[in-house]
Amino acid sequence: MLGLGVNSEGWFMAPVITVEHLQKSYGHMVAVEDLSFEVEEGEIFGILGPNGAGKTTTVECVQGLRRADNGRIRVLGLDPTTEVAELRQRIGAQLQDSALPGRLKVAESLELFAAFARNRVDSDQLLTRWKLQEQRDQAFDTLSGGQRQRLFLALAFVNSPELVFLDELTQGLDPQARRATWDLIREIRRDGTTVVLVTHFMDEAEQLCDRVAVVDDGRVIAIDTPQGLIDGLGLSSVVRFTTSEPDLGWLEKLDVVESLTRNGETIEVRGTGPVLALVASELVAHGIAPLDLRIDRPTVEDAFLVLTGRRMRG
Amino acid sequence: MITIRGFLAMTRAEFRLFRREPFSIVFVLVFPLMMMLLLSAVLGNDQADAQDVANGMLVWRGVTPASYYAAASVAVIIAALGLMTLPTNLAGYRERGILRRLRASSVSVWVLVSAQLTLAMVTFVAGALIMGLVASLAYDTLVPKDLIGVMVAFVFGTAAFGALGLLLASVVRTSRSAQGIGLLLFLTMWLISGTAPPRAMLPSGLRDLGGVLPLTPLVTAVQDPWFGLGWSTTSLAILTAYTFAAGIPALWLFGRD
Repeated sequence: MLGLGVNSEGWFMAPVITVEHLQKSYGHMVAVEDLSFEVEEGEIFGILGPNGAGKTTTVECVQGLRRADNGRIRVLGLDPTTEVAELRQRIGAQLQDSALPGRLKVAESLELFAAFARNRVDSDQLLTRWKLQEQRDQAFDTLSGGQRQRLFLALAFVNSPELVFLDELTQGLDPQARRATWDLIREIRRDGTTVVLVTHFMDEAEQLCDRVAVVDDGRVIAIDTPQGLIDGLGLSSVVRFTTSEPDLGWLEKLDVVESLTRNGETIEVRGTGPVLALVASELVAHGIAPLDLRIDRPTVEDAFLVLTGRRMRG
Repeated sequence: MITIRGFLAMTRAEFRLFRREPFSIVFVLVFPLMMMLLLSAVLGNDQADAQDVANGMLVWRGVTPASYYAAASVAVIIAALGLMTLPTNLAGYRERGILRRLRASSVSVWVLVSAQLTLAMVTFVAGALIMGLVASLAYDTLVPKDLIGVMVAFVFGTAAFGALGLLLASVVRTSRSAQGIGLLLFLTMWLISGTAPPRAMLPSGLRDLGGVLPLTPLVTAVQDPWFGLGWSTTSLAILTAYTFAAGIPALWLFGRD
């Protein structure tokens, strides 16, 4: 695989990350079976899969935190096993299950980590961006889950990285904090940073990622845009409404409609493509204007279910 | 350049953390001081005891019991820092994921280890000065006759017990187990290395066992120049052997994850 892409200015460029046939076992337990993918500059790339699928092991090998048993990894043109010091200066990481000394204060942590960075970002700027100004003199032990998560994100950006790894970014955050965090990640991408997002949250992958690698049992089972995953599998949407009209045979004649089921006055129409628009116009043409007409689109979760034959855990 | 700046930042952070939780080190400093005072109070400071002989050995090595314990107790501080403070802190850093967090951000674990050792050495110097001051005020104990020899012994002892502490931190999984095992090792050594009962008073089996543990050569290496008996090269050699025997596997084990 040559792995050359074309960027917006028409320049040929190498991918930011190339992973080819990565393998990693812990004793007899195979964590990563055979995994390959590429990440392009400037994208938000999701690694999606259930707990234990090998996601964290994969990104730890890519970051040079673990040594792969087999396979080839290139990150920003560097080999993470032999050029790890140079690599660490250019990447940022937010790790799962990590901590800081309990009595170290927020501003002190940033100052400490900045001391090791070649291109450091001003601490005040980070405190402002990650909404930690009020916590700057608070010790790590006294921070809430969301505040800790924001501090780890701030630490991931302390060395102005070209590429960041975010492992279970919104673990333990409330819905509002998750949305706020997603906005910040989009902002970071706009600044030109490439983001690798490891997650088991389908909605997060769908909302945030340009492309997603679905990982299960240590293998990549699909790589596409979130919408591409769904479209590629030809998953159907469901249009629901209620009506007392007894005969809806004309709806079933529409090309986009696969099936129609009726449960009392509740109707469910399954179909693909622009099913909602066509069903709606047909209903109006027949003088029916239901107040509760709505559509449930297939989600990445549905795609995952079809791809793996099972539901995501956790 | 970055390494030096990082080391200074890490050391500053470690000192701040220590200042916020100073009681973590109370045992390490207070226990040796208290034992020195209690043992000297019990066994006295009589010049007549200096030539006591038991089991064919000079019990107090030719000085008064109080002078004997002042010198031995300084060595005990090194053992306590190496066997308890260092492994408890480092194992805690590993257990909580702090080591991983640091490594992911270009911070070598050796920068952390160096900062911890720096903090331990500053603690030791403070502890040794307090010990010397209290002992000379309370008992007018012997001032080291060969200060350079004593300092050389401190350096060799710090290396040996630093290596042992790092090895302990590498093999245990939690801070609590490091604390438990460290305390057990420390108290065992303290009891049979001439730092509690003098070695001449120990049954020969325990004396032999104590002789192969690292605290005995450290005590000898400190006491010999302190009492003007020259340098104990054998003791320094045993401490060096411990430094390498514990340090080499520790460097290998602590660096991996």
